[in-house]
Amino acid sequence: MSALDSIEWEACLLEPVPSPETERRVRRALGMVPPGSRYFLDSAWFADALIALDIGHLQLQHLRADLSEMVALVVSQDGACRYCFSATRGVLGIMGFSEARIQRLEGDLLAGELPAGDRAALQFARRVSRSVPPVRAADAAPLREAGWSAAAIQELTALTAVNVFFNRTSTLAALPYESIERFFARPTMRLLRPLLRRFIGPRRVSQPMPLSPAERQGAFAEQINAFDGVPLAKRLRAAIDACWCGSSLGPRTTALVFAVVARGIGCPLSEREATRLLRADGFPATEVEPALAHLASPSLDARQRAAATLARDSIWPQPAPLQRQARAVRAQFTRTEFIDLIGTAALANALCRLGVGVELARPHA
Amino acid sequence: MRIALALLALAATVAVAWLAVERRRLRRRLDAASAELQRLQTDFGRFAPSAVVDRIAAHSRPVEAERREVTVLFADLVGFTALGERLPPEELVALLNAYFGRMSRVLEDHRGHVAKFIGDGLMALFGAIEPNPWQANDAAHAALAMQRTLADYNRELAARGGPALRAGIGLHRGSAVAGILGSQALLEFTVIGGTVNLAARVERLTRTHDVAILVTDAVRSQLDPRFQLDPMPATPVHGVGEPVATWALRGFEEQRDQ
Repeated sequence: MSALDSIEWEACLLEPVPSPETERRVRRALGMVPPGSRYFLDSAWFADALIALDIGHLQLQHLRADLSEMVALVVSQDGACRYCFSATRGVLGIMGFSEARIQRLEGDLLAGELPAGDRAALQFARRVSRSVPPVRAADAAPLREAGWSAAAIQELTALTAVNVFFNRTSTLAALPYESIERFFARPTMRLLRPLLRRFIGPRRVSQPMPLSPAERQGAFAEQINAFDGVPLAKRLRAAIDACWCGSSLGPRTTALVFAVVARGIGCPLSEREATRLLRADGFPATEVEPALAHLASPSLDARQRAAATLARDSIWPQPAPLQRQARAVRAQFTRTEFIDLIGTAALANALCRLGVGVELARPHA
Repeated sequence: MRIALALLALAATVAVAWLAVERRRLRRRLDAASAELQRLQTDFGRFAPSAVVDRIAAHSRPVEAERREVTVLFADLVGFTALGERLPPEELVALLNAYFGRMSRVLEDHRGHVAKFIGDGLMALFGAIEPNPWQANDAAHAALAMQRTLADYNRELAARGGPALRAGIGLHRGSAVAGILGSQALLEFTVIGGTVNLAARVERLTRTHDVAILVTDAVRSQLDPRFQLDPMPATPVHGVGEPVATWALRGFEEQRDQ
């Protein structure tokens, strides 16, 4: 029995639609088409974001592969995402974790088996994922005491945010977790475990990867630039740019979703940037505050109001009610728009949890 | 010498075997503890909001008390004491449980949670577990939905020849201390402070003003302008220096644009 067995989960909201060209692109980039991504491939920007942030192909400078998967497990547990939780359990199994050890990790009972730094990392990842109250630089003190460098803490923060992105994507679409459990339970997967172990999980890089001048520009630049040098910053930049340039929802709805999530989490920096982007799209300045205070405004149509409400409920989701709400909202959008809404809300949830990184990047932090 | 070495090897083998057995035994105990923790978590979920249970489970220590901005909703059945004297106990309990079940679902649908049942009344909280900048709107929508749900329930009761229920609902918003209170034997996640007391008093004012839902100025100032509100005369309440201004919440204009 796993920790999330009692969590209610709706039937999947999307059917996978063949998209040969995008599938080829994903296969070229990742070597395979991850099962969960097949549901979203008819949105080109979202496919790009899934490629950029694919957990199995991330580059990490400081975190070990097994620790990054443990982070993925506790974050998906915190977000009650049964799909990501099942996927991460499968990966941990390939990495050699026994079922009993995974269960102890779920129950936070690994204390005696983990070094202090790993324990602090898992606690910090839970804090960033939950963000209640918003995470402050002081929350990273146990990591510093355990010997973590500033860059390693930034990497952990960014990795947690990436996991939040996948949690919200899977939860909003109610991806069928049973399929991923069957995938990892296949006899071939069991047989190939020793071989797969060598290839699975993020790759280690030895050097920081600074952002290029072009990557230091764009929406939410301040948040992303705070992670300059962390390899994940490049991936997050690419995902945000893909969303801003490619989403069928348009800049107003996209900015609105980010602003609502920022307001809900309590990230003033993200809210400031999102509302700036709203105004840049011609949203009346006097309407911004009423729109965020009540999720309604004469300048918002019914679809934008529905998007705002769904975004707000994605912050600390209760999966089944959120999925029922998403199903009700879906009728107002085309398939591609609905996928874009899921991706935008997921990305907003990730980005608005990076606020602590900006604080940590300041010299006095 | 050989015998000594053989004995040493035997002792080492026995020690290794004993350690392996002991390790397995410890593992089994850890697994059993983990399963027990999960079972307790599920059981406790019936008595406390699941988000609170998750937080207690996530941290090995109790949830720390915090001051938070919350909206408190009190609902009480009007004239229930007299009804209680008329109805047989089992019928009374069934009636109340069905009412509480319906109200709890409405509150959860509007992102609130029931903190406690008090006789025939209940106290619900918005923004107590996670910060909620939209808590006043949520609570006002919940109050309206509770009245609609109660009307539906009354129709069911009338069809069975049962009594009609009437509820007064009071809302107030402000700062309160949220945390887990009680003894080791009985704990509850709740909020305490003047905000809670005033919300309870405002609910009592629904009888004075003969209205179904009353909100304070602190709630009204945060509400979507589409809520329909009528001002009530400021009324003195116990424990508050100044007379309290309240507003009767009548409805919500879905179609009107701000």
